Amino acid sequence: MKESRKNISRLLRFSLLVIASGLMAPACWLVPSDSHAVPAFARKYNVNCTVCHTRPPRLNTFGERFLENGYQMPGTEDGGITKKRRLGDLTLDDVTNILAFRLRGNFLRNFDYARSSAGPGIAGNPEDRTDFGWPEKFNLFTTGTLTSNVGFFVEVESNIQSGETETDRAFVSFNNLGKHNLAHLRIGKIDPSAFMSFPTHRQQLEVVSVDLSGTVINRIPLLPNAFAAKMYGLKKRDGTAILPFQASLFNSPKETGLDIHGRPFGRWLLYQVGVLNGANETFGDSNNPKDWYVMVRLDQAESDLFSANISGFAYFGNNNAKVSTGSATPDVDWNRYGLAATLRYRMVDVYGAFVVDRVTNLPQALASSFDSTATGLTLEADVLATDRLLLSLRFDNLDAGGALAARKSNTLLAIQAKYYLRTNIALFVRDDFNMREAEGGASPARNFRNAFLIGADLIY
Amino acid sequence: MSRNPLIEKDGIFFCLFTSILWSMVILSLPVNAAVSQAMLDATPEAIQKGRAIYEDGCIFCHGIKGKGDGPAAFFGASYFSPRPNDFTVGQYKFRSTPSGKQPTGQDIFRTITNGIPGYMPSFGGLSQEERWQVVFYVTSLSESTVKGPIVTIPIGYSPIPPTPNSIAIGRQVYFQYECESCHGNNGLGDILDFGAVDLEDSFGLPIRPTDLDFTKLASFKNGSSARDIYRTLMTGLDGSPMPSFQDAFAGHEEDAWHLVNYIMSLSIRRQ
Repeated sequence: MKESRKNISRLLRFSLLVIASGLMAPACWLVPSDSHAVPAFARKYNVNCTVCHTRPPRLNTFGERFLENGYQMPGTEDGGITKKRRLGDLTLDDVTNILAFRLRGNFLRNFDYARSSAGPGIAGNPEDRTDFGWPEKFNLFTTGTLTSNVGFFVEVESNIQSGETETDRAFVSFNNLGKHNLAHLRIGKIDPSAFMSFPTHRQQLEVVSVDLSGTVINRIPLLPNAFAAKMYGLKKRDGTAILPFQASLFNSPKETGLDIHGRPFGRWLLYQVGVLNGANETFGDSNNPKDWYVMVRLDQAESDLFSANISGFAYFGNNNAKVSTGSATPDVDWNRYGLAATLRYRMVDVYGAFVVDRVTNLPQALASSFDSTATGLTLEADVLATDRLLLSLRFDNLDAGGALAARKSNTLLAIQAKYYLRTNIALFVRDDFNMREAEGGASPARNFRNAFLIGADLIY
Repeated sequence: MSRNPLIEKDGIFFCLFTSILWSMVILSLPVNAAVSQAMLDATPEAIQKGRAIYEDGCIFCHGIKGKGDGPAAFFGASYFSPRPNDFTVGQYKFRSTPSGKQPTGQDIFRTITNGIPGYMPSFGGLSQEERWQVVFYVTSLSESTVKGPIVTIPIGYSPIPPTPNSIAIGRQVYFQYECESCHGNNGLGDILDFGAVDLEDSFGLPIRPTDLDFTKLASFKNGSSARDIYRTLMTGLDGSPMPSFQDAFAGHEEDAWHLVNYIMSLSIRRQ
């Protein structure tokens, strides 16, 4: 009986998603179409967001080259184009040309269990749950160019619900070193995957944060599995657990280091090499040697409203995590290898990544109880159905690694309809389906729930 | 006899209003002067250099062959106009030449330098020489590009100050030439219930009449100074439904300047 009610509930929810999408489509024709997008770069260069984005935060090919060129127009070194002024002469325009923010979250969040999942001694909420959450995240950006070929980027993210504020990215870039497009250097708190075919920060289905009751995980976060840590039982060097569902290594947004990228052989090939502290530490670095990575990307982007690219990367972590043998917590090396690709044609944007994580230098004591390999696959397709309606579908699969007793793999299918009131203001309806009936037990991932979300994403 | 309500305002307001309009005209001068540089020679070497720059910065929207089909071309306005220009056709919206004629190099140079508000960023970060090289390459993409003397429409500077009387005359001209049939009685571009009337550009994409408010980002794609608006009136925007009024104003170009004054006053009044 209870199962029957759940099925009806899911059916109603799915129907709501379909109906909402159906209502959004004709609404597109009722709203004037002069969408003016506005964040800092758009203001500075007096253009719409869609000059650089398919729809924010996804970049189109032009936006990708703008990013690579250190926030300068592709083919130029125009960082000095905006004349600098003395402090007393600044106007509001001068400030908003380098300042932007993003406010997002879910008005309504509904999570349900496929099966009752609280295990013996497990706290948390075993029942279906609906709550209201907006706003959840606030991001403040200040970014631009200091002069020709010198750019900067700072992003501070505040989790409004938990009150935590962190600097996600903060770096300075020195561009076109030696020769145009030969080498661009970024130093600071960088996002290594920024130039990969599927950057960690750029996806239409937002990351949904973890839900905790004290130290117990009520609900794991929802993020692309390819980017997640994937391993159960890994620890940071300070001894705290690394959640299997947090962006890490090459996909970490918050590691300190430097990298160099460029296109010395023409527009079809991008290279990137970098070195990071890489030990999941907020500041400083206790591991030695450092983590380092290399990425190569091939591009086809010339005509016919078509572009495609494929990236391969390898990330080598050195003593960047620990495992527990019961009596000791030795260092291990945690590496990542991945392939990612993007294909765009007209209004369709398809992208995905397949990532393999491997732990090496594993103590012999854990040889039979620890799977040193894990994989994650994420595929997403976005279709701009009308000028204002973006439909997205994402498939996620995780073959988890790590401690065999705790690990749980998962498969998720997510669907989303996003309606843009303007290119910088979007409302969305989303449903994530848990494709595996593998719940229960004491694993942090015991409670894969279906998720139904209604929210808004504002950028200014 | 009905009078324009604007004329009935007090004198201080008029002085202020007129000063603002004149300031805008004056402020527009350096911009136009800045792009009036001597044209370089379109040597094969210059064209090749232009090609290299084009392939580094322009192909993402305009495509490798200049057909306006670059990989990012769809996303600018998506299902609506405008799309990036197809240089192989040789049709340009932003000209100083009569409708149907080729633009001057200076016209293309101006667009590269100033960009198109809302849709194309300024590439003023390129040196003047580099921008001219791009002009040479872009014009080489079209077989129909006229190689020789090009007759331009004289633009000059407004001989008529934006007085209340001029604005009132401009409003009459606005209705005389049926501007309101697309741009609406108040210049909002709202006469058409968008989608209900088949206004299309040369790509067959739906296009919306411009809201004649230069404070809005993408309203005046051909520039929002008095000279820019005059030029748009006289040349039209080839490839869009905006026609040239050069013949209509022939012999009484001052009416066009009155109309310019009226159009510019619409934004001021809204502010």
